[in-house]
Amino acid sequence: MHPAGSAAGTPRQPSKRRIPVSHLGMADPHQLFDDTSSAQSQGYGAQRGPSGLGYPTASASPQAAFLADPVSNMAMAYGSSLAAQGKELVDKNVSGLGWWEWGESWGHEARASGRALPPQIDRFIPVTKLKYYFAVDTLYVGKKLGLLFFPYLHQDWEVQYQQDTPVAPRFDVNAPDLYIPAMAFITYVLVAGLALGTQDRFSPDLLGLQASSALAWLTLEVLAILLSLYLVTVNTDLTTIDLVAFLGYKYVGMIGGILMGLLFGKIGYYLVLGWCCMSIFVFMIRTLRLKILAEAAAEGVPVRGARNQLRMYLTMAVAAAQPLLMYWLTFHLVR
Amino acid sequence: MFVWGESEGELGINFDHIWQKTLTVLNPLKPADGSIMNETDLAGPILFCVALGATLLLAGKVQFGYIYGMSGIGCLGIYALLNLMSSSGVSYGCVASVLGYCLLPMVILSGSAVFFSLQGMIGTVLALVIIVWCSLSASKIFISALDMEGQQLLVAYPCALLYGLFALLTVF
Repeated sequence: MHPAGSAAGTPRQPSKRRIPVSHLGMADPHQLFDDTSSAQSQGYGAQRGPSGLGYPTASASPQAAFLADPVSNMAMAYGSSLAAQGKELVDKNVSGLGWWEWGESWGHEARASGRALPPQIDRFIPVTKLKYYFAVDTLYVGKKLGLLFFPYLHQDWEVQYQQDTPVAPRFDVNAPDLYIPAMAFITYVLVAGLALGTQDRFSPDLLGLQASSALAWLTLEVLAILLSLYLVTVNTDLTTIDLVAFLGYKYVGMIGGILMGLLFGKIGYYLVLGWCCMSIFVFMIRTLRLKILAEAAAEGVPVRGARNQLRMYLTMAVAAAQPLLMYWLTFHLVR
Repeated sequence: MFVWGESEGELGINFDHIWQKTLTVLNPLKPADGSIMNETDLAGPILFCVALGATLLLAGKVQFGYIYGMSGIGCLGIYALLNLMSSSGVSYGCVASVLGYCLLPMVILSGSAVFFSLQGMIGTVLALVIIVWCSLSASKIFISALDMEGQQLLVAYPCALLYGLFALLTVF
């Protein structure tokens, strides 16, 4: 029973947090079996038995026994790293002295909620990153919806930064968020169900079908754009979640179109959809230009390099795809 | 009174709290106390769900499967959303409890469906009012329990979608 052997024998211990086994109180080398008579050696320690993994026995303190348990080991390591991430996020996302306390408490709670999550979820769903996109308030949502329907008068499309990371959507109307796209998607599915219902073509499984097909189209779009960004070898700070957020904004216009179509027939549908298509086209161009094009072009100076032209075409293509998809996904709902 | 209090304690059901929470739901304009959601109790919500099913049955619609399915998925969605939006996390039981309590006005709607059909203009208006009532109460309780500022309408909207589905079940 020596430290190297014990460390090698615990495959589940994360590499960044190796608690030196020597601190935990080595088992008595003369003892062939772990002493399970005391209440302190519990969980995995008791089950290892004589395999000599160096877990503390009767001599260890309760805290050391707790830490030796690999599950709580991992949980503590996970919790600490999440706390560090949460604190970073807090440090970077707060602008102005007045909001510091809000940010502090938010960071503490992020740490607490991070500990409450089972460790496996964070591998699949980056919860801390997602929380940034849901840090919205009613005022932001109102302004953003106004921007989506009428982006023509808005001057400054640049996202404010604070120490190299963007400010939370609460504080800057240009920042992308995931609340509006998520709600818009769900509302679109429900409104589609309503539209089918008024045409007597409704059945509950049709709702599921609508939802899956819309989700499939969204996934396809995201993958296509990611592929083209990769092929054009553009270095942008456009993350995948940002892209999903931007592509989700068109559902707002689609909902408007369908509702108008339900109330006023085909004329209303075409009018509202046409307006929303124009708006989303302008919105996407102005937003993506800042993200995809190089810094020079973003400042308004047209640059003639071949690379920048390619990026411009890509931006135009993405923006033009939005109205097309808006029409494709809604025309069969309005008769 | 002595015996009643004893059995109440033994069953673990706090009738006084249930009554308090019911009153909070019935008056959506009065600000809620943040501490009432400290214990998650599902006794009230289950009672209201059964009452909703019973009144729907009286009106001739046997749709228990849809009720359970929709409420399960809806609760899950709102649980995910609230965890992402609030700074402190929330447990699934708490979400289910609040949503269940705020189902009470929907029971009133389906109760009235027994007496007159809701498919006209009056029915639509009544259904809209009830949906707004339910979602305002639910968002009010969530906001005060989770200490979220400036987000009441944002929380009310998904709740309104969920209660809208219930209303659809009741009306059609």
